[in-house]
Amino acid sequence: MFEVPGLGDLNVAATLPVTSLVLGTCILLIVDLFVPTDRKHITAWLAALGIGVLLVLALLALGEITEFGDGEEAFSGMFVADAFTDMINVIALITALLGVMVAYNYLERTGIQRGEYYVLLLFATAGVMFMGAAGDLVVVFVALELLSIPLYILSGFRRPQEASEESALKYFLLGAFASGFLVYGIALIYGATGTTNLHDIWQAAGDIVAGHKSGRFLLLGGAGLALVGLGFKVAAVPFHMWTPDVYQGAPTPVVAYMSVAAKAGGFAAMARVLASGLSNFALDPGEAAVWQDTVWLLAILTMLLGNVVAIVQTDLKRLLAYSSIAHAGYILIAVAAAGTAAVADEAVQSVAIYLMAYALTNVGAFAVIVAVERDDATNTGLDSMRGLANARPWLAAAMALFMFSLTGIPLTAGFVGKWFVFKAALAADLIPAAVVGVVTSLVSAFYYLRIVWLMYFEESEVEVSTPWPLAWAIGVASVGTLLLGMLPYILTDMVREITLAFGG
Amino acid sequence: MVPLWMYLVVAAGLFCIGLFGVLTRRNAIAILMSIELMLNAVNINLVAFWRYQTPDKIGGQVFAAFVFVVAAAEAVVGLALILAIYRRRRTVIAEDVDMLKW
Amino acid sequence: MEITVEAIVFLVFSAITLGGALQVVLTRNLFHAALYLMLSLFGVAGLFVLLTAPFLAGAQVVIYIGAITILIIFAIMLTPQVTRVLKVHHTQWPVALALAALLFVGLVWTQTPLADELGADGWSADFTVEDPADVPADSLTDLGKSLVDPERYMLPFEAASLLLMAALIGAVLLVNRPDDNPDAEAAPAAGARPDQSG
Repeated sequence: MFEVPGLGDLNVAATLPVTSLVLGTCILLIVDLFVPTDRKHITAWLAALGIGVLLVLALLALGEITEFGDGEEAFSGMFVADAFTDMINVIALITALLGVMVAYNYLERTGIQRGEYYVLLLFATAGVMFMGAAGDLVVVFVALELLSIPLYILSGFRRPQEASEESALKYFLLGAFASGFLVYGIALIYGATGTTNLHDIWQAAGDIVAGHKSGRFLLLGGAGLALVGLGFKVAAVPFHMWTPDVYQGAPTPVVAYMSVAAKAGGFAAMARVLASGLSNFALDPGEAAVWQDTVWLLAILTMLLGNVVAIVQTDLKRLLAYSSIAHAGYILIAVAAAGTAAVADEAVQSVAIYLMAYALTNVGAFAVIVAVERDDATNTGLDSMRGLANARPWLAAAMALFMFSLTGIPLTAGFVGKWFVFKAALAADLIPAAVVGVVTSLVSAFYYLRIVWLMYFEESEVEVSTPWPLAWAIGVASVGTLLLGMLPYILTDMVREITLAFGG
Repeated sequence: MVPLWMYLVVAAGLFCIGLFGVLTRRNAIAILMSIELMLNAVNINLVAFWRYQTPDKIGGQVFAAFVFVVAAAEAVVGLALILAIYRRRRTVIAEDVDMLKW
Repeated sequence: MEITVEAIVFLVFSAITLGGALQVVLTRNLFHAALYLMLSLFGVAGLFVLLTAPFLAGAQVVIYIGAITILIIFAIMLTPQVTRVLKVHHTQWPVALALAALLFVGLVWTQTPLADELGADGWSADFTVEDPADVPADSLTDLGKSLVDPERYMLPFEAASLLLMAALIGAVLLVNRPDDNPDAEAAPAAGARPDQSG
């Protein structure tokens, strides 16, 4: 047999946030068996407590107050524990914590309070965290599935409601299809470079480019197919068609979590594969990476379609689905900018900033929908916002804040995210993408601000339930949105250390 | 042995047949079967690349094993969903399952 | 390439694989499609044997043919109406055909010597190799070790086990009838699943 290396050699400590999450989840799974069926809120509490502890750990690591392990590699390069990993960990854990808080009462009042909900949510969170830390395409693939499969199940969690089950089936079929593309792309990349390790791929790609070797087009094809697969996951046009239906049909707390987690995971994988592994893959040495043009074209299409179609939506969940497509477009601009070597770090940092801002804002917006939604999953139309300001001024103020942030109005987190994304795009000379980004942001103001208008300038009877966990979730999300918006240096400090490109 | 590219052509053909099936089939189970074809194409690719290019490093075979695991997990979840929907609706046609439009 | 026994066997398995696959997507009867899927997967197992990957060939038979296809056949038999459906394909199938054909041509163009033959140099990767190095004798041991070796694939291996667990929980959850007592049914269902998922 082989020598068993010690924990120190493997640098297991560096993987602490995600490994303890996984262990904790498995323990929770067992503990849940002993929790009586009518007291499942205990499971929710334990889950929230665990996430809270890990969030503190992740924030300590991000703030460089403590270091876990030594060096950035763990498990011999399978796992990368760098600043990007820390940032994705924080985003994933915040989303999970808010996700649990938003779900808590909704599950209770719709009669689907089950321990499995929280366990699956934690599994998906582990998937996001693995994806942010992936140093090998095997990990990218398995982590993506670890994220996706719990999300398929959670989408269908509201049984026996038809819309929920059907959205789960649609999400599953499209998601599995997308995985097929991703893994075929990975197979071609493996064929062209002879390895699945991202650092080795980077070296092999450099050789292929420098030597004008054959196989450039195979690598290109592999990267393209992988991009199609990831494009499905983050809902980029033209691979977005599942998004509105799934968001509309799935239980709202699940959508609140999924809209952020799936994006964070998908873009983390995209950053690792494109901005890290294939960062030097250009048709001629020294040029911008070949995938740059494709990605910014996708970004433009995504922003245009998402924002324009959102205008005609009458259902809030559908509207936010198109809005989430549009936001995928903005993040894609930043990914494209990472193709220019000189601005790669800045671009990847702006991806992280945007994801952070989007996480707080979007979960918050969906949490408000959870508050107005009735037990039979109705009342999610735009009308449900009518007159909210009179009845519940604080709730309306929070929703208005989220809408401002999604539009990108200054003093909100959304503005900070867009600012850095457009800055990176201009630095990388992606002027058309930046222009379309600004113009579509203006267009988006129309439908976001219409919601604010409905809340403040129209009258109607409203029936809202905001039990305290939900109220706290909305509160935390809005304070976060405002704080990061007014003190943007918190965000820039967080991401300052992020660099994905391999050196030397 | 036969040249490597022949295996790759078989894999490409299998993948594209699966793709065609996913895009055209209306039945959810049939779509799932087409997805399995696509994953098998991936495995042929992985194993062929391993055999011809790096037979001394086991990476390709290991990856293929992971594809097996994922395929099994997906099949289990997918079929469970299909059965759950069938119980209520008596249909597993992807298009009819479509109160929400594409 | 000369006509050797190996080449003939390769052609036979390829024909089984692709022919079966074509029937899977074309045949009207869903149950027949599942049987053709089995045939196609069997062809893939044969290709694995030719590629000196006997373990994967075995796993292919046990997991894919023995578990996944059987699971699919169960699902088909539990949802009986579908075999009588006449309209099986979307009306926009020509678009799908064009897409699939385009992708196939692209893949062939970048992976086979065809482009070079036609004088378009540099497009194709060089995959004409016919006599690769021998597979090390201990490659099967190596495969097993590498999966549990902490310095190689242990991390994704553990992640994959989590994935299977999540799928298991989900399957039990989804087919569990909501009106039944969850405590009464969860236990036997959880025990029955691993056999089916392989």
